[in-house]
Amino acid sequence: MTNGSEQQTTATVPANAEAGRALKLLGAVVVLVGLPLLVQWAFDFTKDRDANRFAIVGVAIVLGVLGVFALFWVMDQIVDRLPRGWRETARPYVFVGPALVVLSVFLIYPVVNTLLLSFKDRRGDSWVGLDNFEFVFTDPSMLRSLRNTSLWIVVVPALALVIGLVFATLADRLQRGESVAKSVIFLPMAISFVGAAVTFRLIYNYRPEGFGSNVGVMNAVWQGLGNDPVPWLTRQPWNNFLLMVIMVWMQTGFAMVVLSSAIKSIPEEIIEAARIDGATEWQVFRHITIPSILPTITVVTTYMVINAMKVFDIVFVMGSPENNGTEVVAERMLTWFFVRNNQGYGAAVAVVLFLAVIPVMIANVRRFRAEEAIR
Amino acid sequence: MRLRRLMVPLLAFALIAGACGDDDDGDEGTQSEDTGGGGGDDSGRVVLLTAMEPEEVSAVQSIFDDMINADADYEAEVEAAGNFEEQLQIRAEGGTLDLAAVPQPGAVRQLAADGSIVALEDLGFDIAELEEMFGEYFLSLGEYEGKHYGVPTNINLKSMVWYPKDDFDAAGYEVPDTWDDLIALSDKIVADGSNPWCIGFESEGATGWPATDWMEDLVLRTAGVDTYDQWVNHEIPFDDPAIKEAAERFGEILFTDEYVLGGAAATADLAFGDAPGPLFQDPPGCYLHRQASFINSFFGNFDEDAEAGTDYDWFPLPPIDQEGTLFAGEFTVVGSNRPEVKDFLDQFIGQEVQCAMGGTEASSRISPNIEVGPDCYANDILADASVVLTDALENDTGRFDASDMMPPEVGSGTFWTGMIDYVRGGPDSLDGVLAAIEASWPAG
Repeated sequence: MTNGSEQQTTATVPANAEAGRALKLLGAVVVLVGLPLLVQWAFDFTKDRDANRFAIVGVAIVLGVLGVFALFWVMDQIVDRLPRGWRETARPYVFVGPALVVLSVFLIYPVVNTLLLSFKDRRGDSWVGLDNFEFVFTDPSMLRSLRNTSLWIVVVPALALVIGLVFATLADRLQRGESVAKSVIFLPMAISFVGAAVTFRLIYNYRPEGFGSNVGVMNAVWQGLGNDPVPWLTRQPWNNFLLMVIMVWMQTGFAMVVLSSAIKSIPEEIIEAARIDGATEWQVFRHITIPSILPTITVVTTYMVINAMKVFDIVFVMGSPENNGTEVVAERMLTWFFVRNNQGYGAAVAVVLFLAVIPVMIANVRRFRAEEAIR
Repeated sequence: MRLRRLMVPLLAFALIAGACGDDDDGDEGTQSEDTGGGGGDDSGRVVLLTAMEPEEVSAVQSIFDDMINADADYEAEVEAAGNFEEQLQIRAEGGTLDLAAVPQPGAVRQLAADGSIVALEDLGFDIAELEEMFGEYFLSLGEYEGKHYGVPTNINLKSMVWYPKDDFDAAGYEVPDTWDDLIALSDKIVADGSNPWCIGFESEGATGWPATDWMEDLVLRTAGVDTYDQWVNHEIPFDDPAIKEAAERFGEILFTDEYVLGGAAATADLAFGDAPGPLFQDPPGCYLHRQASFINSFFGNFDEDAEAGTDYDWFPLPPIDQEGTLFAGEFTVVGSNRPEVKDFLDQFIGQEVQCAMGGTEASSRISPNIEVGPDCYANDILADASVVLTDALENDTGRFDASDMMPPEVGSGTFWTGMIDYVRGGPDSLDGVLAAIEASWPAG
């Protein structure tokens, strides 16, 4: 309706100035009243339980995109009307403002709130000082989770990186089929952690004697070698490594693809020069390839360390972490927060995890800055 | 020109103000809608939020359509939410909740404490009448600060021992009526060269819960309902001699040589869904499996043609020093005090609708309404279970799953893990296990 009258307005302007002005005014009024009504209708529509889901998504997207566009445009217009001296001072803040607001609502507020909760009791009612942190560093299960997470952040990135690097280097030399080989390694990346965990649950599956044949691949092989079936997921400490294998399986592909592209970007001349000077393949790899892709290795490592810190789904699906000694920090956080409804403990674990990620981030940012400086 | 320059930002401003303004009264809107009918029920809709399976939903919906909606000036609707807990919280807080079927008594009391559900007294229900219908105990679970908030609308039996009827009868075994008979039967099965029990406790992150059911059943049978209530409310410690005695009875089953197929330690690694499998082997690998009524739906995995009453059947876990029946169930809570909601709930919990719900094959619900007789059930297993349950509710020998009512640190934490430590550690580990669970009970 509004669009129609607007078009009409523009169309009639050259014909008659007087009538055009009147129509323009009318159109302005219609738009002024109609647009808010339209927006209101759109908002109501997105809340309509019976409406078509796709239509709702469509309307919501249009509303969101146009809304953000309108917001910036209006603020720009307002800034234009400020006194000349203020304009360029205000403009950056006005533009970055909404992002800051969104960031603080979704990032800073939760962090502050979690910090506060970590000093409160299980329902978040009264202050308990450092009791929750005392729990984090004394509870045997928590201590095991700290030990296990430390293992995860060392073993998983190391293995994924080494395997990924070896594969990237070797695949680079394949005469043909490189992309196929790489795709196969990369495929697990597309599976969710829970999906992979459930798949591996089948691989590690165990049934005691008398409960039918063992369907798990691991036990099938193990029995094929003439042994009795083993409950793999409860055998400490090996079960922790069996869980890490899942993440390595999923992350190797990522490491490989990123490292492979880094290897390919090493100038051919350098390698050729080295070879002409009589360097062995190992020397080329050790003294040219590795130093050239070191920045990439750092980024990949950081990514995987942080991922390993966050792991919880794999552990959560694979039997009782407390009975099997497979607890990890993020899993403890979830268990205390949501399964056992103790917000204090959950928040304290979250804070510890949060603090543990900070050094990794700082190291990464420093490294990044140093590289920028070299360039 | 000037007018136009001024108007453009003004106009856009109006647009944004409209958008923001609407966002604000969006919240008010849902609340004001509540008086006129929550979430678009201006048309007179009454929505029952549940965690049911899709087939069950359509079966229950058609009963509502036939028996309630046909004569009512509103429309009752069952809604199944995959993310039930989340939806319940959102609607309860947003004021758009009509009714919800909540499986945890603790959740009912939490909603009551938050003030987001209406007391049955305030809706005009006669509590004495409801107590008559559901038994005083079951109704009291939804009590908060002197008022009742949840009406029981589903109940399921946990104290069931399943056995392969054809092979069981062929071997000349008889269904035991007492605990001693059960032990004698177990010994006899061992003497015949087989293993009596199939037990599995593995359930991913919730590993151990089937063991807590065992414990609860045994506490009820050795110590009785009063001690059971004290145990649940932590009026006696978890390592009280009465609880220890129950755990020792459990140990009698677990740790006696040859009683458990695969041995006690393996029970912790055996998925609970795989555990009943050997009942259906030929000859059976074991003859007894204690598990709640739902396990029935797993039997098809082992024998597609397994038929209740011929291939398998069940008997109630026999009493020891006391009679006892362990159950779980669901409470329907009301989020909006409207006449049509009250009218719907009245009919929903009534004998007629409850009976009809038992008559559909797709539903495995059992009515907690004592007036609903066994004839209502299309399924014999459910009919038999309903007799046991009705009896328990009437005579106050039934108790709700304890682990669901203990604080989550214990009920979904140390009670689970403690039982696994016990089955792995053997009889000597019991004192340490019970002391550890007691120590984990949250203060206050």
